[in-house]
Amino acid sequence: MFGYVRPFRPELKCKDFDLYRATYCGLCRCLRRRYGLIAPMFLTFDSTFLALLLWEPEDSFAPCRGRCHANPLRNMPMCPNSPALEQAADESVILAWWKLRDSVQDESFWRGLSARGLSQLLRPAYRTAARCRPEFDRTVQKCLEELAVLEKEGCSSLDRTADAFARLLQGAAPQEGEQGRVLSQLLYHLGRWIYLADARDDLAEDKLAGRYNPVAARYGSAGDDGALGLTMENSLEMMGAALQLGEFGCRRPLLENIIYLGLPLVQRAVLDGTWHEMKKQKIWRNNT
Amino acid sequence: MRDPYSVLGVSQNASDEEVKKAYRELARKYHPDNYQNNPLADLAEEKMKEINEAYDTITKQRSGGYSGGSYGSSYQPGWSSGAASNSDYARIRNLINAGDLEQAEQLLYGVGQKNGEWYFLSGSIAYRRGWLDEAMQNYTRAVQMEPNNMEYRQALNLIQRGSMGGYRPVGYSTGMDAMDCCTALMCLNCCCGGGRC
Repeated sequence: MFGYVRPFRPELKCKDFDLYRATYCGLCRCLRRRYGLIAPMFLTFDSTFLALLLWEPEDSFAPCRGRCHANPLRNMPMCPNSPALEQAADESVILAWWKLRDSVQDESFWRGLSARGLSQLLRPAYRTAARCRPEFDRTVQKCLEELAVLEKEGCSSLDRTADAFARLLQGAAPQEGEQGRVLSQLLYHLGRWIYLADARDDLAEDKLAGRYNPVAARYGSAGDDGALGLTMENSLEMMGAALQLGEFGCRRPLLENIIYLGLPLVQRAVLDGTWHEMKKQKIWRNNT
Repeated sequence: MRDPYSVLGVSQNASDEEVKKAYRELARKYHPDNYQNNPLADLAEEKMKEINEAYDTITKQRSGGYSGGSYGSSYQPGWSSGAASNSDYARIRNLINAGDLEQAEQLLYGVGQKNGEWYFLSGSIAYRRGWLDEAMQNYTRAVQMEPNNMEYRQALNLIQRGSMGGYRPVGYSTGMDAMDCCTALMCLNCCCGGGRC
């Protein structure tokens, strides 16, 4: 996905930082085991967040040690395989695949070449993932088709376009029971927020390229950061309210850090244009 | 019933003060104000009921019979359907409260004349769906058409305050302390045109 969903390191407790890192490394290992050597390329902070959300609340944090994929000389603590990690891994492969297909279609032949190459590499992994999660695969495909239609007709409703993407992400969690309803509401607004953040981030680029941009279609080509920021904050508030009603066990403080501190910080950076510098910062090292 | 102490997240031998503090924090978290017209309002209401019962049980046990006075569970989330001016609108309100948004929308489109209430209900349907930009536009329209209606103003204020107003766990506040709260209330009063209504 996009990497917008990250914790705010300075306010993380050490144990929550360890939990985050071990989940990230565990997801990397899970991707590698299920989909081979290229799969960890598609590892993102966003899918780590998804794994944390999906985790069984009663599971405590019990990391094992494993070899790091990027640097085999390092032995890192990582979360052992679990259903949540597997689901997050499958879903991030499916999302990465459809995102690549999307850019292949959007770009001209030459510019889309790298996306085309990458998607060829990913094809076998995608096939496996789609077999494991057929329903999610269908949801993603369907929502992206709807989104493409709306974008083509230049839809001026911010909510309508964001809704297609929000429903896509909503499909990433089971929707049964109380916890399902909580996750479904949380993911809907996460999807809405990500879509709006991404649209704002692309505003200048889309204007140059003469492409459709939902923020420009709603507020005019200059955008309106005040109004957009407010409606994004409303989604963050909805996410917080949903989080408080769910069961997340020992992962709750970490999830609260991401929703109450990490996302607002990213939002500010996207609005004032400093996001591209922030995006490059590694959260593993302390930057300050 | 679950052990009342575990509902409040305190140990059996916690002091009265600790029990009260834990109860207050939870009541702040699940307060209906944080879940107004939220699709998860019923879950919050259940939690609120659970902690109210737990607190009442503990205070009764400790004082030998007297109830300690929880915030009470008579608070109704959503709206009283009495506020509706016509019977279609009353039905639409009930449908929205029940979460049947498609039916509500269909019925709303059948209403010919669009007044403040029409835009307010249209905004409520959008809000419930998570279409917060359209909700804001509709609420704004409703307030423009009927500036003296407190219900519409409240809905608009709620959505305009952004993430500054809702519940935050301790340590995640955004600098909205007690002082700011007064200022905010004063502003709110000005926005509402305090003197006029």
